[in-house]
Amino acid sequence: MARERISQADEWQTWAQRYDIEGGVRTFESGLTVKVFFGALFVGLLMMPGSIYLSYVSGQSGAAAAPWVAVILFTELARRSFTTARRQELYMLLSLTGAAVGSGMQYRSFIWYAYFINTPQAISYEIADKIPAWVVPAGDSVGVLSRNLLHPDWLLPIGVYLVGKFLGTLRVVSGQYILFRLTADLERLPYPMAPITAQGATALAETTGKQETWRWQVFSIGSMAGLIWGFIYIGVPALTGVMMSQPIQILKIPWIDFTQSIEGFAPTGVFALRTDFGQMLFGFVLPFPVVMSEFVTAMLSQFVLNPYILYPQEILHQWHPGLDVRATNLYNGLDFWRSYDIGKTFSLGLVGMAASVPMLFKLRKTQKKAGQRGSLATPPNRGDFPLWLMGILWLIGMGGFVWLIHWMVPNFPLSFLLGFAFLYTPINSYITARTFGVLGRDLFEIPYLHEITFILSRYEEIDIWFAPLPDEDYGAGTQGWRVLELTGTTFTSNLAATLLIMPILIISGILVQHFIWQIAPIPSAQYPYVQMMWPINATNECLMKTSLRDGNSEIIQAIRGDYVAAGFTSSLAIYGLLWVLKYPSMWYYGIIGGIGADPGSMVARLLGAIIGRFYMIKRFGLKRWFMFNPVLAAGFACGVGLIGMGTVAIALVSKAVIVKPF
Amino acid sequence: MEKLASIIIVIGTILWLISVLFLGGRWQWQMFAALVLTVGIFIAHFWEELSEGKDKKTPRDDN
Repeated sequence: MARERISQADEWQTWAQRYDIEGGVRTFESGLTVKVFFGALFVGLLMMPGSIYLSYVSGQSGAAAAPWVAVILFTELARRSFTTARRQELYMLLSLTGAAVGSGMQYRSFIWYAYFINTPQAISYEIADKIPAWVVPAGDSVGVLSRNLLHPDWLLPIGVYLVGKFLGTLRVVSGQYILFRLTADLERLPYPMAPITAQGATALAETTGKQETWRWQVFSIGSMAGLIWGFIYIGVPALTGVMMSQPIQILKIPWIDFTQSIEGFAPTGVFALRTDFGQMLFGFVLPFPVVMSEFVTAMLSQFVLNPYILYPQEILHQWHPGLDVRATNLYNGLDFWRSYDIGKTFSLGLVGMAASVPMLFKLRKTQKKAGQRGSLATPPNRGDFPLWLMGILWLIGMGGFVWLIHWMVPNFPLSFLLGFAFLYTPINSYITARTFGVLGRDLFEIPYLHEITFILSRYEEIDIWFAPLPDEDYGAGTQGWRVLELTGTTFTSNLAATLLIMPILIISGILVQHFIWQIAPIPSAQYPYVQMMWPINATNECLMKTSLRDGNSEIIQAIRGDYVAAGFTSSLAIYGLLWVLKYPSMWYYGIIGGIGADPGSMVARLLGAIIGRFYMIKRFGLKRWFMFNPVLAAGFACGVGLIGMGTVAIALVSKAVIVKPF
Repeated sequence: MEKLASIIIVIGTILWLISVLFLGGRWQWQMFAALVLTVGIFIAHFWEELSEGKDKKTPRDDN
């Protein structure tokens, strides 16, 4: 039977309808209330410092679990106070907690460079005296030697950081918003991973109401599964690590490597079975054609293309028997796949452009109602902003950022900065926004972009390695706006909350870093993780920052034009042929994701997709199952996060009280 | 237009295969094939958008 042609936007819109909470009709409310603000204060003043401290001591910040813990505490308080918590409030708390915990990590660079500037490595590599004053004060300054972040020596680094933070907020908010309007409103991309967060907040909000619906039951099932899995995967190794020198791993983390077992019949092929079966949950959520085509293409890459075409042609020439998955991937990447992937990712950008440019042309012809595909008109009361205003804010933010970098490194060619800021960043962000809209993940990344830039610019000073470059990506953040929409939270309230919490986090973050630094030097015995890792990191940083000194880099030499062209053209051919044969474009994203990838990393996701498609849909019905599975995944993340935080805490307490004889 | 787009895409694919199999995979020939494919893909999407709206059925949700 002949296939019916379906346009990309129609295909994705159909997919999005499955997840559209309340059937696409929703009301928007503010999520910012006094309760939420105090909840966020709690997060800012208690959880973020705890997270920073844990990261120094154990390398585990507990960041993934923190937002869920805060929300559960909040809902329990609401229940015991006989009040209710709306899902808008809970989602706001969830996102603010995530932002707070994440932002705490940003201040680590002050402490890191205060340590790095006085390391023997930095001195022997002749870097120490070349670190700019806007990164860290001099190694013999009072601010560094007395471990005092509040000393005037730190005014310049902290001042530059704060200016960067302000300009960054302008750019990120406006850039993400413009892309969201383009990909979610105009192109109607489904953002398949967004409902996980949205449904999680909804489920917990219902527990504070009079009636508990199916959402809480499904969330609980997911949480219990997460607790059990988290205990097996994280808990057992963490707890046994307290008592034994070699922790017990029921399932080897992160994978079981079969690469050497298959080299007899598939030389240069890799197969490392990823043991994180939590990935099954993603298989439930992602489109079945994407998961299936990705796996099949990955199998063909590793069991046909690599061993029987690329290896005999001596394109993959560095591999030799006995290598494990990491070494095989490294050599195969240098020989061929790194170049091919660059071309492949550029094809994604071109395909996105081909799909969206005609839509823009059509938009000029026809005015459409809000909610229809191909329309930039907004739903009522969503709290939208004028696009022109966001455009101006982005220009101010990016213009100021380029000026700041130019001030930091005045001899670095300005044309490179302008090219990154106004050409690369918009294109890169748009491509990522599209891949997040379709797949819920990023596919577009040019490896070693900074190194390539430094070589092309012929700039040889070391200071450029410490400066930020305006090569940004707002694509992943567009998903957050989709979640706001799904939870019915007004955009204005989210922006207001972000701006209100920011000064609190900036001040509390610096104070806490100062306090923790005052307790003991970092690294020192008080902070065992950084004591072990930071010297190695210092060596690596020295190697990286001096890698281009003699103008020679193995990575740069590995990029070959004919292989880049092969990646670009073959990907376009695949897309074109799928269009000619009237296959859904989702197959293209699956195939492109799978080419050259390790199929072992996809087994759990494939299992989830197969169970979902051939059992769960039959058991529960399509509509119900697709309502269930984001809630299930959110509950699972909560369960794993809780068990992770709990076991790491037990391990830390035990290590603090048990004196080891070494 | 649909047939034109299909023909250009098929020609672009054949050109790419020829460039890889018989012309040593030189990037210049491959990029020429990419140019042909790009033209075909753009025509395809322009045709899709401009021909839309005439008795269009909702796609079957069979994913």
